Amino acid sequence: MYLISYPIRSVYEGPEPSHFEERLDHRIKNHDKEIERMCNYHYQGFIESVRGLLQVRTDVECLKLEINKTNDDLQNSGDSLLGRGGDLVKLRKTQRNIESAVDALSLCLPVLETYGKLKEQLRLKRYYPALKTLEQLEHSHLPRVSKYKFLQPMCETIPTLRDSIKDASMTDLKDFLESIRKHSEHIGHIAMKHQCAEQNKMDPSIVTTQGKKRPAPLPPKLKRKAPPPPNPFGDDVDDGTPNGRHNPFNDEGIETGDEAQDAEEGVSAQDLIDFSPVYRCLHIYSVVGARDTFESYYRKQRRKQARLALQPPPNMQDTLDGYKRYFHDIIGFFVVEDHILNTTSGLVNRAYIDELWDMALLKVVAVLRTHIGFCTDATLMLQIKNLIMLFSLTLRGYGFTVSQLYDLLLEIRDQYSEILMKKWVEVFNGIFQMDNYTPICVNTIEEYEAVTALYPFMDSRLEKSPFPKNLPFSQFVPNVYSEVKEYIYACLKFSEDLHLSQNEIDDMIRKLANVLLTRTLSGCLSELIKRPQLHLLQLIQISINMNHLEQSCVFLEDFISNITGLVKDNVHVSRLQGTSMFKDARSEAEGQIYKRINEKIDEFFDLANYDWTATDPRGQPSEYISDIIAFLQSTFIAFTNLPEKVAQTACMSACKHMASLLMELLKDHQVREISIGALQQLNLDLVQCEHFAASDPVPGLNDGTLQLAFVDLRQLMDVFLEWDWANYIADHGKATGKYIRVPPATCILLLEKMRDLDKKKSNLLASFKRNERDRKKLLDTVLKQLRQLVNGQVHFT
Amino acid sequence: MAKTYDYLFKLLLIGDSGVGKTCVLFRFSEDAFNSTFISTIGIDFKIRTIELEGKKIKLQIWDTAGQERFRTITTAYYRGAMGIMLVYDITNEKSFYNIRTWIRNIEEHASNDVEKMILGNKCDMNDRRQVSKEKGEALAVEYGVKFLETSAKASINVEEGFISLARDIKAKMDRKLEASNPSNRTAHQLKNEPSKKSRKWSCALL
Repeated sequence: MYLISYPIRSVYEGPEPSHFEERLDHRIKNHDKEIERMCNYHYQGFIESVRGLLQVRTDVECLKLEINKTNDDLQNSGDSLLGRGGDLVKLRKTQRNIESAVDALSLCLPVLETYGKLKEQLRLKRYYPALKTLEQLEHSHLPRVSKYKFLQPMCETIPTLRDSIKDASMTDLKDFLESIRKHSEHIGHIAMKHQCAEQNKMDPSIVTTQGKKRPAPLPPKLKRKAPPPPNPFGDDVDDGTPNGRHNPFNDEGIETGDEAQDAEEGVSAQDLIDFSPVYRCLHIYSVVGARDTFESYYRKQRRKQARLALQPPPNMQDTLDGYKRYFHDIIGFFVVEDHILNTTSGLVNRAYIDELWDMALLKVVAVLRTHIGFCTDATLMLQIKNLIMLFSLTLRGYGFTVSQLYDLLLEIRDQYSEILMKKWVEVFNGIFQMDNYTPICVNTIEEYEAVTALYPFMDSRLEKSPFPKNLPFSQFVPNVYSEVKEYIYACLKFSEDLHLSQNEIDDMIRKLANVLLTRTLSGCLSELIKRPQLHLLQLIQISINMNHLEQSCVFLEDFISNITGLVKDNVHVSRLQGTSMFKDARSEAEGQIYKRINEKIDEFFDLANYDWTATDPRGQPSEYISDIIAFLQSTFIAFTNLPEKVAQTACMSACKHMASLLMELLKDHQVREISIGALQQLNLDLVQCEHFAASDPVPGLNDGTLQLAFVDLRQLMDVFLEWDWANYIADHGKATGKYIRVPPATCILLLEKMRDLDKKKSNLLASFKRNERDRKKLLDTVLKQLRQLVNGQVHFT
Repeated sequence: MAKTYDYLFKLLLIGDSGVGKTCVLFRFSEDAFNSTFISTIGIDFKIRTIELEGKKIKLQIWDTAGQERFRTITTAYYRGAMGIMLVYDITNEKSFYNIRTWIRNIEEHASNDVEKMILGNKCDMNDRRQVSKEKGEALAVEYGVKFLETSAKASINVEEGFISLARDIKAKMDRKLEASNPSNRTAHQLKNEPSKKSRKWSCALL
C-alpha cells in the first residue's frame, strides 16, 4: 500500500492526471478483450462437462440402488449371526462362573476339612495337634478364603478355640500337678530307696513308712507310659503315639547309675509319673505365644506346692513315719523338678531350682531343728538322723548342696548326746534303784561267766575258789560298766556316716564318755550317796563298787580304742577322767559312812540321861554308852566286807565323835551345875569307851591310835577326879606334862559349874562343915590360879 | 543337859529274813516305804518320840537282821528290850511257823516280863496270802499276846501296833513303879500338879 500509495499520490498531485486516466482506461479495454477471447475459447469444454455430469448422476442412482439392495441382504444375514453370537456370549459367561465356583470350592474344602479335623482332635483331647491344626487353619487356610462370609464365624471362633485348648491343657496340667502332689511322696520314697540300696549298708526299712497312709500304688497304665516330650517343630507332631520312640527317662544321666536297680525294681521314680501334660501344656503355650505365662504359672504353682511339701505334717515329731513322709514329699518334689529341668528346655532353670532348694533347705533345717528339739527319744533320734542322712544323700545325688544338713546333724548330735545323758541318768538311777547292794554270789560257772562277760573282772584267787563264789561287788558294777559301754555304742551309732575322721570320732567318744562319767554318772552317784534313806550297808557296798569301777576305767579306754579303731597312743588320746571321778565318789561314800555312823552315835547321845547333880555315880556305865559300844561292835563285826581302811577310819571317826560329844556334854551351857558324882559317872562311861578303843574293834588298829581319841577327856577326868591341881598348874606349859591336853579354860568352866552347885548346896543345907569350907577355898584358889594362867597365856601369845 | 523325854522304851523287831521288819520300822519312823529288798546287816535302830497320856516317850526300836548268820549279834539285844515285835509275812507260811521258834528264842534270851506282840505283815497282798488272819489270831491267843495284821507298804496298822506295844509297856512300868516304890508314886504325883489341884478343889467343894 505504501508502495502503491506513493505513485498514486504522485499521479494525483502531478500535472497530468487525465493522461493517467486515459492510460488506465486503455488498460481496462485491453483486459476486457482478453477475457472475452478466453471465454470463447473454453465454452465447448464447459458444455461437455455438464453433459458428463449428468451421465454420472444416473450412474450414481443406479449404484445407489444396487448398494441398498446389497445392504438389505447383508442386514438380513447379520441378524441371525448376531443372535448366535449373543448365545455364545451367554454360554461363555456360564462356563466362566462354573469355573470360578469350582476354584472357590476347592479353596474352601481343605479349610473345612481342617476345621473338622480340629473339632475331632478337640473331641479326642489331642490338644497339641489340635493347636497345630488351628495354627494351620488360621495362617494358611483362612487368609486365602477370608472373603467368604460363611467362614467369618469360623474366624471368630479361632481365638475362643485357642483359649479353650489352652484351658483344657491347663486343666490337664492342673490334674497333673494335683497328682504329682499326691505321688511325689511315693517318688521320694522310691528315690530314697534307690539311694539306700546304693548305700548298701543302710537298712532299707528306714525309708519305708509303716503308716496306713502309704500312697496307693499307681494305676498300672501310668507306669512306663510317659510319652516323650513331643517335638513341637517336628513333622510327626500329630502323631501322638509313642510307638517307636525311645523312652527318654532311661537316658537320664541321673538314672544311669540306677538302671540295674530299675530293672530289678521295675520302676524308677520318674517312670511312675506321666509327665506328658506338662510337655503338652508347655508346647501349647509356647505355640500360642504364652510360654512366659505358662512358665510363671508353673513355677508359681510348684513353688506353692513346695511350700506345702515343706509344711511339716502335724505331730511330725511323734513318729518316724511323720519324718519319712515329710522327707519323701520334699524329695519327690525335687526329683520331679529335676526331671522337668532335664526334659524341658527352660521351663525351669537351674537358678529357679536352686532358689527353691535354698528356700526349702532353710525351711527344712528350721523345721527339723524345732521338731527335733521336742524329741526326747534317743532311738527315734537315731532313726531320724539316718533318715536325714539318706535324705541329704539322695538330694546330693540330684546335685543339691546339703552341707547345711550336715551342720544340722552335728547340732542334732549334741542334742542326741544330751538326750542320751538324760536317758542314762534314768538308766543309772534304775540300776541304783534295783541293786540289792549285796555282793554278787555266783553258784555256777555260767553265772560267773555271765558277770565277767559284762564286766572285765579278774581275780585269780576267786577264780580258783569253789562255787558258790562271792564276788566283792554288787550287780551295780557290771551293770554300770556295761551301760557306760552301751552309751558309747549309742554315741558311736550317731557318728556313723557323718564323714568324721577316726580321730574325730575317737575324740568325740572320749569327750562324751568323759561327760557321761564326770557329769551324769558322777551326778547320779553323788545324788545316790547323799540319799538319807541309804543304809550303811548300801554305802559300804557303794564304796566297794566305786573301787572296782575305778579299776575298770582302763578297760573302758581299751574298749573305746577298740571300737574307734584308733591305735592307742598315750600322747594324743585324751584320757578318761573316770578314775578320779570314781575316787571322788568313793571318798564321798566313805564320808557318808562315817557320817551315818556318827549320826547313829548322835541319836544315842540324844538318849543320854545324866543327873548332873548326883552326889554318887550309879556304879555302872550309862546304858546309852553300853548301847553305843555294843552297836559299834556288832556293826564292825557284821560288816565283814567293809574295807579295812574304811573300817579303821570309821572307827576312828566314831571314837572321836563320841569323845567330842562327851566333851560337849560337860561344856554344855544348859548344864549349869556339875557334881563330882556326875563326873564320876561320866568317867565310868569314858572307861567304857576306852575299853572299846582298846579292844581292837577293827583289825589293824591295835597301836593305841583309837585310844588317842579319848586322851583329852581322860586327862580332864584325871585332873578332876584326882583333884590334882597342884600338878596341873605346876606342869602347865611343859611339853611333858601329864595334863598337857587339858586347857585351863575348860577347867575353869567345869570348876565354875561345880562351885555353883556347891553354892546352891551350901545355901540349902547351910552347911559349915570344915572340910566343905576347905574344899571351897581350894576351889576358889584353883580358879584364881587358872584364870591367871589363862591371862598369862594371853600375855604370852 | 535337859531331859527331852519322860520314858525311853527299847523295842526289838524280830522275825524271819524278808518279812518286812525294816520296812515296818521305816514306815513307823519316816512314814515312807522303799520296795527294794536290802537285807539288814547285823543290827540297826531308829528312834521316834511319841506321846502317850501326856508323856513323851522315846521309842528306840532295834531292827535285827533276820538272817541266821547274824543270830549271835541280834540275840545280844534281846536282853535290854522292853517290848518285842514278832513279825511274819502273811504270804509266807514258813515265816509264820517260825514265830514259835522266835518266841522260844525270846523265852531263852529276853527278860521274862518283856511285852510281845505279833504282826502279820504285807496284808496288802491279799491275793498271795498263805496265812489267814484267824490263824494269826489263834497263835497270838495261844501265847497271850496282841496281834495285828499290818502293811508297811499301804501303811496299815503299823503306827497302831507300835503305839499299842508302847502303851502296854508303859502300863506295866507304871504298875511296877507303883508296886515297888510307893514314894516314887507320890513323887510322880507331885509332878502331876494340875490333877492334884483339881482334886484339891473338889475337896474344898465337898
